[in-house]
Amino acid sequence: MKLIVLAPEDDNHTAPIKWALEKAGHRVVCWAGLSWTENGQASLIMKEDDTLLLGGHSVDPGDVVWIRRPELPEHNPKVSEADKKFASLEYRSFYHSIAYILETLPVWVINRYSAARVMIQKAVQLRLARQCGLKTPATLMSNHPATVREFFARENSRTICKGFTPHVWQKEGQMSVAITETFELTRDQLPNDEVLTYAPAIYQERVPKEYDVRMVLMGNQIYSYALRNAKQALDWRQDAGLGHVTAELVPTPPDVEKGVLEFARRSGLCFGSLDFGVDAKGQWWYLEINEQGQFLWIDQFNRDARLLEKFCAFVTQPQGSTVPVEARQDLFPSLLEYEELLKNEQVAPVGRPRQEDPFLSLEA
Amino acid sequence: MNTDNRVLGRVGARELSEQEVDAVQGAFIVRHTTTLCFIDKKQQLVSGDQSIGECGP
Repeated sequence: MKLIVLAPEDDNHTAPIKWALEKAGHRVVCWAGLSWTENGQASLIMKEDDTLLLGGHSVDPGDVVWIRRPELPEHNPKVSEADKKFASLEYRSFYHSIAYILETLPVWVINRYSAARVMIQKAVQLRLARQCGLKTPATLMSNHPATVREFFARENSRTICKGFTPHVWQKEGQMSVAITETFELTRDQLPNDEVLTYAPAIYQERVPKEYDVRMVLMGNQIYSYALRNAKQALDWRQDAGLGHVTAELVPTPPDVEKGVLEFARRSGLCFGSLDFGVDAKGQWWYLEINEQGQFLWIDQFNRDARLLEKFCAFVTQPQGSTVPVEARQDLFPSLLEYEELLKNEQVAPVGRPRQEDPFLSLEA
Repeated sequence: MNTDNRVLGRVGARELSEQEVDAVQGAFIVRHTTTLCFIDKKQQLVSGDQSIGECGP
């Protein structure tokens, strides 16, 4: 058995996890995604025994495939300008064939691409979460001004606004940036109707949260961390980047655990990072799941979390195992050890982006 | 910022100064499949999330 990671080797989670698994004697290979380069080339040989080759690696029965964060499919830049659009679409289609066929092969895929594609949709997530018994805030997704205004007319409620996708605006020639973030919006602050049609948005009942919870799902086990920051910011993510949050392991209420495991079962996801807001009554409000969300940063805020070791134990256990990953986590080295090596330049640094980013805009 | 013709998401976006970006991240990485990946000088692995997405592979 080997672990095949669909991500560049220097991805910030792939690199330490590959290092930790290899140190424990496991075989790990990376495939950064479909591209025209030799390492990016792939073949799907379909006859009696279908064979999938990703770069120089064959996908073999019993392998584990972690679809972490592959690069966008990339065609050869030398292709004629007249053929670029076709080549690009062909690359994209072939990548989809690869990603979807993986889940039909005798390998364990984390997560199945079909499940990931559906569950990345925030509307689908919210609906399923509610159906699984999780508490969800009232939500409107719309670009219809009258409906937006009606939503804001609710009695005794506060509303936040957030996007479907993240985005960063960088001022031309500068390092300063603006980052999409959840923000509160009042009825009085609503812009004119036309602005509401510039981009659809998510409007949501503001959860009166006391603190946030980042939960990590690994199979049938979940780990919840209370995230607190002194500023009580609506969106903890940038504050976490500034080092302004703490992460403390907290017990997951049984009804929430039951709901999350049902959510995982019905969605087909076996791994992911979930966000909850917890209010003064101790009620956990489901906010979202990111099926390949970042999680190693929790190890940096709370050295007892040992999510690196847990993840290594998770991906090296048989699919569907009910044995707690804690039973095997001691087999793997810690993120702290990796960080020491990184500091001393004994392991390669994590990488820079290679491609133009669709979530980044330049502005004057 | 002149808010004329700007989307709500930009109006409500959080501004990070050059100093903040430099102090916190050291390297500010935005991968195609993510929102923000902060890898600061202490090599923190903090990030917003959002993988795949329609823009992704």
